[in-house]
Parts: sequence; structure tokens; C-alpha cells
Amino acid sequence: MAGESSWEVVPATVGVVSRRWDEQHLDLQAAAGQIRDAGTSGFTAAVTGPARRFLTTWDRHATGLGNTCETTADGLRVAIEDYLATDRATEAEIGALDPYREEER
Amino acid sequence: MATPVALVTLPTLPRRPRPVPPLTVAPESVRTCGAQLLAASAQVDDLGTFIAGKARAGDWHGTGSTSYHATLPPLGRQADAMSLALRGVAQRVDAHADEMESLVRRRTDLLEMRTGLDAEIDALEARAAAGPTAEEVVALGDDCVRVQGRVEAYEADVTLWRGDVSAEESEMVAAFERVLDLDAVDRFYGGVPDPADAALARRPGAGASATEVNDWWDSLTSTEQAAIIAAAPGSIGNLDGIPASARHAANAVALDRDLADWGNAESQGLLSEEEERWLENARAARDARDEIENRTDPVTGEPILAQIYIYDPTAFDGDGAIAISAGDLDTADNVAVVVPGLGTDAESAPYQADRAATLYESSRFLDPDETNASMFWIGYDAPDNLPWDEGWDWAQVVNEDLATQGGEHLADTIDGLRAARDGDPAHLTAIGHSYGSTTTGHAAHDHGLDVDEIVVVGSPGLGGDTDQASDLGIDPDHVWAGSNSRDPVAQLANDGWVHGELLDGAGLGDDPVEDDFGANRFEAEDVSRPDHIDFGQHSLYFEHNTESLYNISQIVNGDGATEATQAGHVHDPWWGGPQDPEWDRDPSTTTTQPRSQSGSRSVSSGGSSGPW
Repeated sequence: MAGESSWEVVPATVGVVSRRWDEQHLDLQAAAGQIRDAGTSGFTAAVTGPARRFLTTWDRHATGLGNTCETTADGLRVAIEDYLATDRATEAEIGALDPYREEER
Repeated sequence: MATPVALVTLPTLPRRPRPVPPLTVAPESVRTCGAQLLAASAQVDDLGTFIAGKARAGDWHGTGSTSYHATLPPLGRQADAMSLALRGVAQRVDAHADEMESLVRRRTDLLEMRTGLDAEIDALEARAAAGPTAEEVVALGDDCVRVQGRVEAYEADVTLWRGDVSAEESEMVAAFERVLDLDAVDRFYGGVPDPADAALARRPGAGASATEVNDWWDSLTSTEQAAIIAAAPGSIGNLDGIPASARHAANAVALDRDLADWGNAESQGLLSEEEERWLENARAARDARDEIENRTDPVTGEPILAQIYIYDPTAFDGDGAIAISAGDLDTADNVAVVVPGLGTDAESAPYQADRAATLYESSRFLDPDETNASMFWIGYDAPDNLPWDEGWDWAQVVNEDLATQGGEHLADTIDGLRAARDGDPAHLTAIGHSYGSTTTGHAAHDHGLDVDEIVVVGSPGLGGDTDQASDLGIDPDHVWAGSNSRDPVAQLANDGWVHGELLDGAGLGDDPVEDDFGANRFEAEDVSRPDHIDFGQHSLYFEHNTESLYNISQIVNGDGATEATQAGHVHDPWWGGPQDPEWDRDPSTTTTQPRSQSGSRSVSSGGSSGPW
């Protein structure tokens, strides 16, 4: 994706979307934390083990999904960088895209 | 002559009942686990929604765009499937908590049965040891057979109970293991439509009445309702016409999600200034809920139920909107909505929750046969300027604009409560304190507030258009006003021909405790009052064991006409200033809570640290 995009116009929308993916990453991190901290102490002994295993596994699932969001955001930023690195970008386009080269959150 | 004991064969005594196996479980902790999983599922659901919409960059074209957009459908499918799977487990955990609670109760019953049987067997053994006559042996034999039968029935119940515990545990374990890996998640939930989507598509549009919303909600299946609560809590959490229990469930999901989201960002130093404020509001909502849940119903001794009726931490430019009830708004015989005043925003929710819980306790204590719900309502943008912060010129910047806007919101809230109780109406009371009375006045005057009683305390006036109780749209016999003679805010209201608005805009309408106004004035003096005007008196209307709380509670319970203690009205002759007969009356202490719950109360003089 990153290499191909250098020959195409990349609009500022891509920067906006990259930041939204960062938000999703943060939200999924929070979700993983909720799952991790949900607590199994209230269950009976027969249920506690499977409950703990579920929480551990789903903490990993949610974290993985969040990481995918972060990777996607990074990929979009690379597309922006590649585009700005070419001499095809106009000054206006550079101005619009420049803020999105950096990860904010 | 009695038969000699030696010739009589004693009957076989019943065997001792076997003990009930232990059951170590904490249903409330299990419920909390389920709530956290449900909130997490809402986050995952949000990702699915994002991918289906705002993740797209519609004006980006070319191979890079094609490549990017091609990744979205499979990721969206995965997010949707994970959300449904996690939601399913969360709901099963919640049901598990209910079931275990029921099993704990059944075990308690079994323990009592066993204790009773042991006592009966003790008595049979004593009769056998006492050397019974032949006739007594016959009777003893009959009793032994009867008790033995009960022991066997008890043991059958124990066996059944053990089986039910095992079955419930097995089902819970199966639910955990069913969707442990992502392949299973996709197998069971991949491409499965979310029941919430179709249900939300049928939701009445913006501007629908509370009744239309209630009809829509009632038309949904329980599965659809549960799906909406989990997937889109924001769509119904503050929607008038939705029953309070469903609003609470949705708002609890949203609150848990927000606390986790913003708490996570805060821990990484990524919280924006705006989000910091929202997080403070969310924490205030949590603390307010906890304040109510940590209080005890004076009749049952059980924790008081809290319902989050409004939760919007971002409302009113970040001031936030929160309304939480002490008691069940869907079923209570008597419902009270307390409208606070100056200086109130979402961060003051715990302070207001204390008042709502106190009113609940008092109302229950004074009429244990009735059920109650008391809700504080921070559902409008109250003036932020406090006199101790701003000085006495605050009156110049307080006007009726915010009360006018707030009145509309309050009327909507009351309509929502009514619509959700169609066919089972509560005795409903709106209580306005301080500037909240002006808001309540506007709600009633401008929109026709559908309540049974209106109560105002510490009122600076109910708005410039309300000159008399009859202007409020309900029978004036059901309009009540309480005013502490030392309360400076209450003295801002207009008396006689001198109107506060003539004095740099100070009053917010006519004095509701003046004789010309036509409301019932009830006693609201406090034993702590000094011999001069005092700001501290303005904050005492909802304190336990005060005349004011006693009278408000009687009105809330529908007993105001017979039980509230009436006070003389303020009279303002044209030749002098207002004359308040309450100024010289000795205040009394009135019991509003069980003696065992009474604590000492501190009264600040000359100011207050809290909002009104």
C-alpha cells in the first residue's frame, strides 16, 4: 500500500482517517483492560478457571484487534509520507497533509 | 392402667438430615464481571460501526486506496463477530449472577429446613427417652414416620439443588469455552446480523413523542432490547419514553466504557482538555451512583437501588447532564424529581445524590407501606456563578434564560417518566430548590408539567410570568412552598409591589410563600438558624430530621394535605416591608429516619461549600 500510493494524490481525508484509527486503537486498549480487570473472584471454584482463561484469551484478542487499528493508522501515515516525498504534491496538498504525518495519540 | 414401658417396642427414629453442601459464590462480583465484559463488547461494536462508515476515505482513489479499502470488510466482519461473541458471554455471565443468587437463596431455605428437622428429631428423641406409654409410642411412631418423610423430601430437594448448581456451572463454563478462539468466534458469529441494527432501523425519528418511543420499545423482543443496550447504549440511554430500567442498563454500559476509554488515555498522558472534563463528569456519575447504592433502605435494610436515568458527560459545553434515582422509577408508588439550582453541574452529582437518597430514606421511613423513587435531575445548564465566588453582584447576571431552557428539558423528562408508566402512573412530584424552582416554574407554566404536586424550597421566584400558584397549570392545592425565614435567596423573590427586577434585576418572580401567591406554605425552619440572615440555611431543606424534609416527604407520599405542617404566609402591607410570621416561631426537630441511622449533622453558617 505504501509504495503504490506514492504515484497517487493522497487527500487530507486520509490523515483524518488515520487519526480515527488511532482513536480506535486507544478504545480497544481500554476494552482489553476492562476484560483483563473484569475479575473472576465471584465465581464458584468450578467456574473460576474457565473464566480466568476466557478473560486472558480475550484480553489478547482485544489487544490484537487494537494493534491492527494502530498498524492501519501507521500504514495510512506511510502513504502520506510517501506522497509528500514525491515532487507531485502541490504546496496546498502538503500544507493540508503535513499535520497528519505525526501520530497524535 | 397404662401398659408397662418394658413391653413396648419403640419406633425407629428418623435419621438426621444430611448437611447442605457449601456454595461459595459472590453474585454481585459476577454481575460486575458481566458488566465490564458488556462495556468492552460495546467498544468492539464501535469499531465495527467505524469500519462500516468513517474508516472510509471516499475522495482517495488509486491502487493505494483500493488496497486500503479492501482490508476493511474482513476486519469489519471480525469486529462485528467478536462484539457479538463477547456480548453473548457478558449476557450469560449476568444471567449466571441471577441464577447463582437464586441458588444461594434456595440454599438458605434448605439450611432453615434442616435446622427445623434437627429440632423436630431432637424432640422425638426426647420423647423416646422419656419412657412413653403404649399410646404415646403409637403417636411417637406416627410422628417418626411423618418426620422421616420430611427428611426424605428435604434430601431430595438437596439433591435437586446440587444438580441445579452443577448444571448452571456447566452452562457457564460452556459459554466461556464456546468462543474461546477466533475461529470459533467466526464460525458462530461471522456474518451474523446484529439484532440491534434492525431494531434501531425501526426507531421513531427525531421529534417523536415519548409515547411513540415507548410504543417502539415495547414492540421489540427482549433479544433486540438487550442488543441495543449492549451495542448502542447512547441511542436509548437518554431517550424519553424508554423505561428507566433499560435507560439505566444502557447508561451503565456507556459509563463503564467512558471510564475505561478516558482513563486509559489519561494513564498515557493523551487526554485532551475537553476529555479531562468529560472524565471528571463520568467519575462524578460513578460516585453519585455509588453514594446511593451504599445507602440502606430504612424499611428493608437492603441497599437502595440506583438508576442512571440521564448520563451525558459532554452536554452543555462540558458541564454535563446526569440524573440518577434512588429507587425504581418504573415501579415506585411515589416518584420525586429534584431540580437543583445555582452552581450545579455534573461534577456536583455526588452532592445531589446524597440529597436524593436522603429524600428516599425519609419518604420510606414516614410511609413504609409505599414504595418510592427520588431522582436528582441535573438535566439543564444551571447558572455556574456562585455568590461566594462571584460576590453579591451575581444577581445581576442571573436571569431566567437558563430556567426557561431548562424548563423545556424538565417537561420532556416528566413526559418520558409518564410515558414509560402508561397504565401504571406514579404519584409524581417535581421539587425545585433555589434557581431550580425557577426552572420548575417555567416547566409548569410554559409547558404544562404533568405532575401531581409541585414543591419549591428556598425559591427566588418561579419566573416572571408566574404570579400565582394557579398559573402553574395544576390545582393550587397541590402547589407547595417552603422557605426558611433566614434564607437570603428566598428573600430575593418579589413581595408586595416591590419587585426585585426593579433593583438591578435581582428577583426571579413573585414570592411563592406570600399570601397573594396562593400556594400552601409548609414549615421549613431549622433549629440551627441564627437570629440573622444566613447563607447556610439555604442548603438545609433536604437534611434529615428537619421540618422541611419531613414536609416534603409527606407531600411526595401524597399525604401533604393531612400530614404536612402548614406555616403562616408572608404578608407585605403597602406601608412597610414583608412580614414573615415564621421569623419568631420556634423551629422543631422532626424525625425522618430510624433512630439507629441518625447521625450528627454539621451546619455551616454564612456560606456553603456545595452547589444549591
